[in-house]
Amino acid sequence: MVAAVAKTGEAKPHAAGGYRVLVAENSPVIQDVLKLVLSRRGHRVDSFTDGQEALEALRKNRYDIALLDYHLPSLSAAEIAATIQAEAHGRELPVLVAITADAEGLLTSPGLENFDQIIPKPLDIFKLGNLVDQPLKKRRHAPEVTEAAVEREPVKPSVPAAPVPLSFFEGKGYQFLTWPDDLGGERLSQRALDAISGDPSFDAILIAQPVSIDALGIVWQRKSLFALPVIDLTGTLGPAADLDVSKLNVGDSGQIGRLFDEVRDRRARLNRDVLFTDDLGEKLIGRAYVMHKPIVPAYAPSSRELIFYNMTLRAGLVAREADALCEQDLLERKFFDRFNVCPRCDSVRLHVREECSKCRSPDLAEEPYLHHFKCAFQGPESQFRRGNDLVCPKCKQELRHFSVEYDRPGTMLVCNECGHAASEPSVGFVCLDCAAHADAETCTTRDVYSYQLTLQGTGFAEYGRSFLGQGRQALRFSEFPIELIVALNAAAKDFNERKTPFTLINILYPNERELTAIHGARQFALSRDLFLENLRGRLGGAGTVIKGLSYDFALLKGSGPDEVRNEFKSLKDAGQRTLRFDLGVRFQAFGHQDFL
Amino acid sequence: MFQLVPESLNFLAAATWRNLFALFVIVVVYDIPRYYLGFIAVALLSIFKSKKPLAHGRGDFVSVVIPGHNEEEAVERCVLSLWEQSRPPDEIVVVSDGSTDRMPDKLRDLQERGLIQEAHCTQLRGGKAAALNLGIGRTKGNIIVVVDCDCTLDRHALRNIIEPFADPGVGAAVGNIMVRNAKASLIATCQAIEYLICISLGKRAADVIDGISCISGAFGAFRRETMERLGGYDAGGSEDLEITFRVREADLKIRFASNAIIYTDVPTTVPVFIRQRFSWDQYTLNYRNRKHGYLLNPLSPRFNFIELLHTLDFLLFSVGGGIGFWFYLVWVLSAYGDFAPVVLIGIQLWILALESCAFLLAGIMTPEVRISSLLPYMPAYSFLYQPFMRSVRSIAYIREWVFHSSYTDRVAPRKVHSARPYL
Repeated sequence: MVAAVAKTGEAKPHAAGGYRVLVAENSPVIQDVLKLVLSRRGHRVDSFTDGQEALEALRKNRYDIALLDYHLPSLSAAEIAATIQAEAHGRELPVLVAITADAEGLLTSPGLENFDQIIPKPLDIFKLGNLVDQPLKKRRHAPEVTEAAVEREPVKPSVPAAPVPLSFFEGKGYQFLTWPDDLGGERLSQRALDAISGDPSFDAILIAQPVSIDALGIVWQRKSLFALPVIDLTGTLGPAADLDVSKLNVGDSGQIGRLFDEVRDRRARLNRDVLFTDDLGEKLIGRAYVMHKPIVPAYAPSSRELIFYNMTLRAGLVAREADALCEQDLLERKFFDRFNVCPRCDSVRLHVREECSKCRSPDLAEEPYLHHFKCAFQGPESQFRRGNDLVCPKCKQELRHFSVEYDRPGTMLVCNECGHAASEPSVGFVCLDCAAHADAETCTTRDVYSYQLTLQGTGFAEYGRSFLGQGRQALRFSEFPIELIVALNAAAKDFNERKTPFTLINILYPNERELTAIHGARQFALSRDLFLENLRGRLGGAGTVIKGLSYDFALLKGSGPDEVRNEFKSLKDAGQRTLRFDLGVRFQAFGHQDFL
Repeated sequence: MFQLVPESLNFLAAATWRNLFALFVIVVVYDIPRYYLGFIAVALLSIFKSKKPLAHGRGDFVSVVIPGHNEEEAVERCVLSLWEQSRPPDEIVVVSDGSTDRMPDKLRDLQERGLIQEAHCTQLRGGKAAALNLGIGRTKGNIIVVVDCDCTLDRHALRNIIEPFADPGVGAAVGNIMVRNAKASLIATCQAIEYLICISLGKRAADVIDGISCISGAFGAFRRETMERLGGYDAGGSEDLEITFRVREADLKIRFASNAIIYTDVPTTVPVFIRQRFSWDQYTLNYRNRKHGYLLNPLSPRFNFIELLHTLDFLLFSVGGGIGFWFYLVWVLSAYGDFAPVVLIGIQLWILALESCAFLLAGIMTPEVRISSLLPYMPAYSFLYQPFMRSVRSIAYIREWVFHSSYTDRVAPRKVHSARPYL
């Protein structure tokens, strides 16, 4: 474990010579551990068992960090901290860190405000290892921090945030990262950094203050945070949070415990490839696996996309990534809803209204037609109105007898803006975000799906990329068009007899969904055909291009997969030439050995 | 039987002029003036009436009104053919008159595609006149063109029908109607011949003497002031014929635009044909002699000599020719006995010759119709269709005269008939 920390330490850009660290700890075992860990990271360590000695050393020498056990003989850590602060007189002080087995007891004791950090016992190597990064960063980012500034704005201890101010979680031994204390600042807290580097002791992220989904992007930008459930204390995240505490009853606390236990269990089973991935799509798989539930959308009027998925990530991003994963068979999707999309700003927050088909004004008035049988005049009622009477504007006869003299065969919608009349209104949309107007013709639609892990996706979550690598290489012979099977047979025979190499290129279209959504299936099909035609032209006699169902194929004779892979770019460019849309074509090459 | 035709020809060759006149009194009195007057008029027209180049109405705003009842299928083709015009309309207003098919949906679709400017759909059928009035009330143009839903237009039809309005005295114009489904059945072919002779040629002749009898509802055009002055169409069927009386009474000229061609489908089966003609003829009699009966009364302040001639022409040739034919038939049968068929066939051959001349002249005047395909049907037209039509007409007049049957036909809804003044 120590070695692991040291190894991590080596990778970090330390200032030459490291830092000077004072350790005041009455347990010689802990003293040794601290010394070992810190010196392996390149720091100089002075250690003391007595409080008074430590204070003297602090007065004499300049330390960068002081780790003080809270219960020292002769002088307590709190007293040391208070004294040193009082005597500072503009001198730069070390970062003061308290070490204690009773973090909660400490919180109630006086003098706490003099510490910058608190580390609970038993000591956590992760925390300790990361701790030294913080003063480093502090100096790099704010070298000019003076004593005066520190006095005016004492660094807020981060520990008080850890014990949750909620009866549900108190005393249950759960560990939380808190928004905004751990994750909300310009810099992440030590605890957050621990969690990012894989400290398994955290159970969830607590949202203690109202926050927008976008502000929580940090959860997805850093590693492994995505695998923590998000507990919303504020009730503002709605369906994006895994648990909305504001809607829970006291009796539900047992459930919460079970949730944490299950999630912790599954997180432990999540492959490290996935836990520490930087790829957003892989994070989605990891999250779906850890939370053990599908990625489902729910309506969220506050969002531009009108939905949130059950995670703190913008729905558009989730959908984009998840759709790509569906292509790879890692997720499967189910239709949820279809939205109209503003053609200008892509928002789906559209106001739907009945409006004039000509000037698009919603100021429509409904007016009944009247039909005077005798003279065949038919027109809007207002033309007949003479005070309380109905008088035919054509023959000036008063209409008295409904159904014998006149009737009302229908209604007319008259636009108060332009006077245009129609028997039915048009339906139009106004974008609530950009105020653009659209109608059914100019609006595109966007389908929203829910996603769930496929067997392959679960396999990927548990076994990492190695699982995927094998899975992906497998060609599905059942999907081959007959034409291809014939051509492959011929190529294989040729190889067996004359050792002529051949390569089968599997042509994939990852952008298919997106292009179909934007330009329609027909446009995509045309582009795909054109791509194949271009490719055919480029290959000439060197290969055969064969159209498949969801994939297409090109069979090249005379060169093996490795040679062909070098040509991928020029082949793609040739195919893509003259195309209006980027098909985002992906090639996979297979040689004879793949068909053994 | 087969001897009859040669026998008839021999009979004609052997008869003296005096005998012939006595025999063919009906031809001499009725048909010769009708056709020959037409011939002469048309000949005069083409010789003396030089074609003045008229303004094409660039400054005009042309509104087209299309009424329809259950015309889901036809309306789109009609609208599209309007947008194919060399002079496209400035607006199209379509009225679905209480349609029970998907015509309202069709109209919404057309409106969304920008192909029609206004669409009105009533839930209750009010008859074509009411639908037209509703549509006309919504137009903005200074020229209002009325087109039937089941029609399609020649490319220059609209340009040509608005041409006459360059003359400020013209209140309305009517287009040239041709049969689109001439090949559908024998009766449709015969109607194609009839349209060619009566409309393409007949109206051309009538135009010369300012005697257009009907601004056909299939394709008519009105100046807005005319429409406003008249208050639109009146209740009842054959509203196009009725409004024609009032246009003329308002002292406005009606022009026949022979080169404004519209194509329509005619009835292809005998029952539908009979129903259509019953309706037309009953309304004609009703309007001419009842609603506008003052035309015959020299003491009426609205009496007009030209209108009297119109009405006399109608009574003499249409009613008289229709009903008189039966008296003539009885007379020939009683006078000639067994020889009657020979006489009748002889007469009909004589008429055939006259009609063929008219037909050929009409064909020459109307190059849009390929007369060569219709010509073989001339005997059928003359020997079968004409007598048949004459019978239908006679029955229609009697029905109307005795039973006022125009008040019970199905062209207009019953509620309208009940409210129409009973004359």
